[in-house]
Amino acid sequence: MRGRLDRKDLAKYPFLKEAQEWVSGRTGSLPEFFSSNYGRIAARHAVERIREAMEGGRPPAPGPERLDPDREVYAYAIARVLVSCTKDRLLMDRLSRYEAERAARYLADEQPEKRALVAEGVGMPAEAGDLPVVQYVELASHLKDDRWRLVNREVEKGHVALGDGDLPDLTAERIRILLFSQLPLPVPPAICELLSPLAAEITAAQQQYLLREFGSVEEGAFPPCIRVLTTAITSGANLSHSGRFALTAFLHNIGMNPLQIMELFARAPDFDAGKTQYQVEHISGRSGTEYTAPSCATMRTHGICTGRDGLCTQVSHPLSYYRARKRMGKQGDGSADRAPDQPAGSGHGADEGEKGQQVGKTRVPRERQGKPNQEDDKDEQARSTGEDIQ
Amino acid sequence: MKPATLEFVKQQFSEYYRRSRISVPPGLEQREWGFIFLDPDPQKTAMRRHLAFGTRGEVTEYLRTLVPAHAFYSAAYYAAPAASTMGEKGWTGADLIFDLDADHLMRGPYDRMLARVKEETEKLLAMLTDELGFHRRDLHLVFSGGRGYHIHVRDLAVRGWGSQERRELVDYVCGTGLDPRAVLGHAPTRAPGWKGRYMRAVREYLMWLGGPGREEAMAHLTAYEGVGKEGAARLMEDLDRVTSSLEAGDPGPLLQYRAFRTIAAAGTGKLSELVRAGAALADEPVTTDTKRLIRLPTSLHGGSGFRVTPLDLSDLGGFDPLVDAVVFGDRKVRVDLSLKVTMPLLGSTHALEKGPATVPEALAVFLCCRGIAEIAGGGRG
Repeated sequence: MRGRLDRKDLAKYPFLKEAQEWVSGRTGSLPEFFSSNYGRIAARHAVERIREAMEGGRPPAPGPERLDPDREVYAYAIARVLVSCTKDRLLMDRLSRYEAERAARYLADEQPEKRALVAEGVGMPAEAGDLPVVQYVELASHLKDDRWRLVNREVEKGHVALGDGDLPDLTAERIRILLFSQLPLPVPPAICELLSPLAAEITAAQQQYLLREFGSVEEGAFPPCIRVLTTAITSGANLSHSGRFALTAFLHNIGMNPLQIMELFARAPDFDAGKTQYQVEHISGRSGTEYTAPSCATMRTHGICTGRDGLCTQVSHPLSYYRARKRMGKQGDGSADRAPDQPAGSGHGADEGEKGQQVGKTRVPRERQGKPNQEDDKDEQARSTGEDIQ
Repeated sequence: MKPATLEFVKQQFSEYYRRSRISVPPGLEQREWGFIFLDPDPQKTAMRRHLAFGTRGEVTEYLRTLVPAHAFYSAAYYAAPAASTMGEKGWTGADLIFDLDADHLMRGPYDRMLARVKEETEKLLAMLTDELGFHRRDLHLVFSGGRGYHIHVRDLAVRGWGSQERRELVDYVCGTGLDPRAVLGHAPTRAPGWKGRYMRAVREYLMWLGGPGREEAMAHLTAYEGVGKEGAARLMEDLDRVTSSLEAGDPGPLLQYRAFRTIAAAGTGKLSELVRAGAALADEPVTTDTKRLIRLPTSLHGGSGFRVTPLDLSDLGGFDPLVDAVVFGDRKVRVDLSLKVTMPLLGSTHALEKGPATVPEALAVFLCCRGIAEIAGGGRG
């Protein structure tokens, strides 16, 4: 016997085809919709949804009895239209993450038949068994925990064995990837024009958020790997291409402008103003591509992940480290100034617990991935553009 | 490289390109190309890149006219491969590449390195097909012309993958990131993949620990940072019990020992060696770089003069690079060696002293390309 999804279910899983069909059948023309009272209210909810997604907290998942199906499905759809209009990849990423996590919260308490229907709707198996290697890697490569690494799985004849506990996380990841891959939606310019006040509001809120997250540059909160690079440059060492790239991109990402970055590089005895300016401007986006600092994994690949400390074991990106450290500093936890003197943690075993606690007092975001895929790609891309082999 | 030597190598390469059929990769017009030219100054290795060709004829013409020392094309497919920035190129995907280079495995005589890297390649091919499930028809094996092999995986399902997805595969074949708690679960030694390999490595390690020489074992254990005398002694006392539990499918007792966990996580030492022996040690950055330039099969490697040789998977066993990748003949050439060399080539072993010598043309090309000989005074003898 197969279950069916009712309207309350669609409120919980508004990305399902059924939900979108249901809305699109009832909306009429978009300009009319947005000028109606109902449309305006729905748009407000959409803005709220994006704000919540931007803050990156745990999405609220009120009980089904408190869900208004219309409101949820519309807010979901309008939020996606809005972020598409902003053309901001970061927002699209955050919103997709938010939606996936929200759905996962509902799925956790769902009856098996309904869970199976949702899984099927996003192209996932309903129950444990195995997944083809390709599909598994596409999902698991974005999940941080070591247990997801392919090397730690049972792999045979092109299939990866799954346990019962694996499916919820993989399904959530599948939803995230699916939703992100559909963005930006092809929204007609006229609609974006109509929504431009809301889009402006979102952009302003995001500016504020970024300012709050990164604020002024605090060298004391730099992760050890970046500190090593800045020290190296100040002491006149020659940085490798990947080191120079990582440092420049990091400084750019935390809000230093090209001139400030140049000043730092100018401390090096072999400072070449013209060359440095070119590199800095290239990495900060003048060439049309804005680069993001490499993830911890990429730093390790290039052998520039150095001086790992306790906090490093909890993040997968130097920017996450910086954010977390800054937040700790703000909360009056003296740890911001504490030297990162823990030995390179093995990461295994219960004994690691004490190390974790030092930073455990403050909430370290469980940053599963930042946007490592793109980061890695861009990093590799920069590496192979050939500046280093001219 | 002296002008006469450079002229000699260029002439040999030119002859090869004139008489040979050059292969080109599928998706030719979406590939970027790059070339490095012969230069008297070995420090000057400028690559001319961001080039694109529409037909095999154009590629062949380029090689015949300009006679580069090294020829590469992009593993990536681009909308506009000749554009000068990555943004404008428009990346649309890339072949999945594995690079096995003896340099990363061992030091030693060239022929020994080649033999060692061949074993590694065989392990890698087995993992790619039996475990990861790639079709043999999608795997393209190439002798690199240097000290290793390249495997080009042309499977549409992975063409669009980014670095992160590719990293999962290269970490898998290299055994990077193995977590004992995850792989030592109820795994019999015959279990497929890493469960079995890791289990076998750990069992062998425990047997090695329990072998003759407790002093030696203690010294080994306590050499790890974080393993104290007491912890090591406790593990040694309990060795039989944890081994039999492990054999019975319960790694719990072993994993309780902090000493073992520390050693398993260390990445160096005996256990790590045993684990790595089961791995196929491919060069990680090559696989994760989605814009890599890779040597053109059927071109010549300017550092050896050997042919970058495409191989059928089934031919790997019988392939001898020092015979099968050699494209030059045995006309006599006078060279001047800068050091003493013993080198097997085309079935005979050449033991050469420092100084002038007359050698077969193929060996002369190799020695000149390696930078250990120059063409002697009057050129060809």
